[in-house]
Amino acid sequence: MTNSMSNVGRINTLMGKNFSLIDAKIIDQYQVSYVLKKDDIHRALSVLKSNGFRQLSYLSCVDWPNDHEIEMVYIVMNWDEALHIQLHARIDRDNPVMDSILPIYPGAKYYEREAHEFFGVAFPGNPDYDKQLILEGWDDIPPMRKDFDPRAYSDKKFTKRDPKENFEVTDKTSKRPRQERREERANNLRTGGKK
Amino acid sequence: MRELKLFLGPQHPGMHGNAAVHMYVEGDIIKKSYLLPGMLHRGFEKGMERHSWINNISLIPRVCVVEPDINEMAFAQGVELLAGIEVPERAHYIRMIILELARISIHMMAYGGLGSPTGNYTLMYHAHADRNTILNIFEKITGHRVYHQYIVPGGVRKDLPKGIEEDIHAFLDSLESRYEEYRDLGIENPSLLKRIKDTIMLPEEVVWDLGVTGVGMRSAVNKPYDLRKVKPYARYDQVDFEIPVSSYSDARARVDIKLKEVVQSISIIRQALEKMPTGPVRVPLGRGQSMRWTVPSGSVYSTVESSRGEFGYFIVSDGKTHPYRVGVRGASYPQGLLGIEKYLPGTRIDDAALWVDTMGVCSPEIDR
Amino acid sequence: MSKYRFESIFNSWRHLKYVLKKPITIPFNHIFTKKNAGYLHDNSIIKTKDKLISHPRVAADNMRGFHTNDWEECIGCGTCEDICPTEAITMVERMDVKEQAGAHQARPVIDYGRCCFCALCVDTCTTSSLKMSKEYVYADSDPDEFVIMPEALWLGEQVEDGWVKDETSDLLDLKRVEMEHADIDDRKQSFVEIVRGYSKEYAKQEAARCVECNVCTSSCPVQMHIPQYIKAIWEDDIEGGLRQIYETNPLPGVCGRVCTHNCETSCAIAVRGEAIAIRWLKRYIIDSAPTDMYNAIINEPVSEVIDASVAIVGAGPAGLGAAYYLKVMGYKVDVYEEMPLAGGVMRYGIPAYRLPDEAIDKDIDFIKSIGVNIHTNTRVGKDITYDQLETDYDAIFLGTGFFKPRGLNIKGSDHEDVIGAMEFLPKVRDFERGKLSLSDIDVKESIVVIGGGDVAFDVARSATRLQMLKYGKSDVKLTSLENEDALPASMDEYIEGGEEGIEFHCGNGPQEIMQKNGQVTGLRLWECLCIFDTEGKFNPEFDQDCEKIIEGKQVYIAIGQSPDYEYIPNQLKEKITFERGKIKADEFGQVEGVEKLFVGGDILRGPDLISGVADGHRSAQGIDAFLYENAKKEKVSKNIKEMRLYAKENTPEFTPKQKGIK
Repeated sequence: MTNSMSNVGRINTLMGKNFSLIDAKIIDQYQVSYVLKKDDIHRALSVLKSNGFRQLSYLSCVDWPNDHEIEMVYIVMNWDEALHIQLHARIDRDNPVMDSILPIYPGAKYYEREAHEFFGVAFPGNPDYDKQLILEGWDDIPPMRKDFDPRAYSDKKFTKRDPKENFEVTDKTSKRPRQERREERANNLRTGGKK
Repeated sequence: MRELKLFLGPQHPGMHGNAAVHMYVEGDIIKKSYLLPGMLHRGFEKGMERHSWINNISLIPRVCVVEPDINEMAFAQGVELLAGIEVPERAHYIRMIILELARISIHMMAYGGLGSPTGNYTLMYHAHADRNTILNIFEKITGHRVYHQYIVPGGVRKDLPKGIEEDIHAFLDSLESRYEEYRDLGIENPSLLKRIKDTIMLPEEVVWDLGVTGVGMRSAVNKPYDLRKVKPYARYDQVDFEIPVSSYSDARARVDIKLKEVVQSISIIRQALEKMPTGPVRVPLGRGQSMRWTVPSGSVYSTVESSRGEFGYFIVSDGKTHPYRVGVRGASYPQGLLGIEKYLPGTRIDDAALWVDTMGVCSPEIDR
Repeated sequence: MSKYRFESIFNSWRHLKYVLKKPITIPFNHIFTKKNAGYLHDNSIIKTKDKLISHPRVAADNMRGFHTNDWEECIGCGTCEDICPTEAITMVERMDVKEQAGAHQARPVIDYGRCCFCALCVDTCTTSSLKMSKEYVYADSDPDEFVIMPEALWLGEQVEDGWVKDETSDLLDLKRVEMEHADIDDRKQSFVEIVRGYSKEYAKQEAARCVECNVCTSSCPVQMHIPQYIKAIWEDDIEGGLRQIYETNPLPGVCGRVCTHNCETSCAIAVRGEAIAIRWLKRYIIDSAPTDMYNAIINEPVSEVIDASVAIVGAGPAGLGAAYYLKVMGYKVDVYEEMPLAGGVMRYGIPAYRLPDEAIDKDIDFIKSIGVNIHTNTRVGKDITYDQLETDYDAIFLGTGFFKPRGLNIKGSDHEDVIGAMEFLPKVRDFERGKLSLSDIDVKESIVVIGGGDVAFDVARSATRLQMLKYGKSDVKLTSLENEDALPASMDEYIEGGEEGIEFHCGNGPQEIMQKNGQVTGLRLWECLCIFDTEGKFNPEFDQDCEKIIEGKQVYIAIGQSPDYEYIPNQLKEKITFERGKIKADEFGQVEGVEKLFVGGDILRGPDLISGVADGHRSAQGIDAFLYENAKKEKVSKNIKEMRLYAKENTPEFTPKQKGIK
């Protein structure tokens, strides 16, 4: 159970030799991140598993609607070398399909089911991937997609409840309406910019 | 024999949290079983995308109700790694104290939880009474008993209150003095032993298949696979402790390891109190007021050793005031979902509750 | 397979040793408060007396219990509402709360059905008025009863504080991002601008401190969109910020440097820390906006869509303010200025180390570029008669300011080495522009300045620079009636003036200008006991026994300025009411009895530059109301309509200070 940057170096060489890496990033001495092509993921996971990365720690997705892509994230761990590896691969967002990694990591079964439920990704090869898991009777787009608005959904589904007393003491001299108008106007003058 | 459909939970003394185990049984042997999660789904991952880095601390501890600090720690570490900020030394030690107190508290709760499915309620009451003392200490330190919201990106929210060391020492001493009694009450108790020894075993191959970590893994593979040792966070590399392991994982071995871990935690807390430096306990995430703190873009996976194994937060930032994506790897995901489906068939109905308790299945962290 | 050995059935017997141990449980009635015990009792089928007994456990010191909010301290900023992760807090309007500068008439209401007791609201509270108590038990069968407006008392009872913020848990950034200033030794030698301005990175950091509470807005005489443009800086949207600024202030580059910044005085962060550097942030937008970006502010050239013209006398802040908004609304505007350069007090009153010409040029060039005609070197009454204006224009706006030095009536004050501030300062500006040489300005080796306002400091610090240039050393003494802590000048002036070597003799009243052989030798002072009498009138009292004489070869008087009404024809003067040098007019600057005449700036209200701009804007509305109905109008585009609408919508209201609210 030793960890040093040499483990990271070994994995870097291994990955660089076998795969065309789109991006590689050393996060710290315990974690490396690789961006791969979609088709390389399964082979990469097999290689890593045979190199001591026996545990699948995490599998999930990140939605990038502006790129029309969904990013698959696989995190595997090697306990003996104390190393987590993130594998990222982007897939098409409109028709998200990713072959199941069940033959490599049987533990992925429920992760894939959840990813399907929350992101709408299909996992051929996983017999149960499209079964409902957490969201009973869900009737909208996959909720972790960025274009799903939970507030709009809850406004649609549930009634609002106003308290009897709102504690307001107001009169004709109220400054709120003007203040709101002014704020709206000021915000309309903005030309974008970034945070 | 006729096959029956049975629900264990969501309201059942052996179920922890609102989830149900859906079983098909013949006689009292389970033929098929599934976990039915979703009753505690609160959309936290979505919610975290809609809260700023700082006010996410109100959601995060709620991911696992009984062990909130693990979540806070994993999130805080991840954000610190992304933001590249160095936490003050004292904060590391305070975090260790909190995390180990939490570990004791949840091990006590699990140990007490062993009492309810086995009908040994005295054990449960005693364990919960000691947990209550820990909650009192938490209340003094953090202001709340359960959802502490204390470990935040950058350190901890407030320094330790004056005189809290005495409370902690007093508690540790009393717990230590009662340690033998606890063993006698539970795993040395012949009537209980009959129920837990040689039941629902977990062979090593299964560990890797399921992806089980934590006590379940260490009790089977006989190696100190504990993140505190393997990739030390906070200042776990500055304190001496051992990782109890075993090569034969039945219900008793797992409970035994939990109790041994309590002893180790006691020692860690004492060392942390002794070694604790003075100084500040928090650095801000950046200049400006908290709602305008931003975190550089990137993605990290931050892990903490919880009582049930590797607890991870996968955090993606796009450089703004809110996280772009937060994914939670609940430590009990493997044993809770796949473990129940693959591994319970063949055991008896009453062993299901023991699996849930000794492996540690926390339904809120599965649902999120 | 089992690894366990056989166990004896007698093993259990050792458990007998625990028989006599005490139980470790906690009694139930140690949890409830009296009120809740009573509630439980009332709602229970079985009513027993012991249900009423309660010994509630006292919570820990850090307890995050129910909120208390001290209304006296609370300023209704709503930062708690913004940070609340569960949206439990709503700010409701409370018009029954006294109006004051730097506060909203609003207070938080908390829905305890949503509250998660995270205490972020407490940690981010700008005033520390919001706290959490140790109270943690509350029950009711009506869910509406959980919506509570916290006050200093919890349910009418004094309760102990639980979670209160400390330095560690504070979520605000109370320290200002440091501004680079010119080195003291360098700046004394020249008129180069002292405040260097924020870099982009620093401006964004400073902007990040703002909590968007909007309490500053009402204190600003023109009610700029302050939180919005600060946010624009933070989000790196200079163009958006520029448009927001020009919506309410046509002189932002000037205001970004020399405004009296009432906004910063009322800033919510200033309650406990250093105010956001609002003025410098505004300057950052103007300094970093390229000239071509200005084209975006006004979407199309403003043509004269309304057939009516307005003459403006005086191109100072008020005049330019009126001109800008009249132009934006579509009037033909001509500005008449006596001096060679437009800007009034900005050009001739304020020294260049505070306000360089480039900054003024940038603002005024933009006003010119939208079609305002400025006729410089044209004094009304000399180069053009007032009657001419009256026949040529449909309305006249006067913004001629206070430009004449006010004299001091003490012995010796008629000496030629006793100089008024407004005689001296224009010369200094002209020297800086290269129009005058050092020898044209007669500054002696040692001088005394009388006055404690910004102008006095301008004189003293300008004189210091001239002395340094002329003699290589400076000797400036400043005396004022007010003590150091009550000087009307801004704190920056006092600190920076001190750094530059000005000697202060505050709290003294001048009695006599000492002379010897026809030369000024110094000033005799008596200690000032009080400035105002019991009725609040200016009536200083002096202690004759505490006398001192400070030496100086010249005395500069900067105790205020007075107006110059010579250009107004006498028959008109008779119709106007003057009150203590100011002209009486209504809210929109319309002079009583002379319909066509509007006034603004120092001759109406004063006292500072930004109030002048506000007067100008208000008068523009007054003039519009006066002319619009009867004027011929062209069909206008949607953009122009919108600009007109918002020029009206943004007409400044009086600030609490102007309304006389403390």
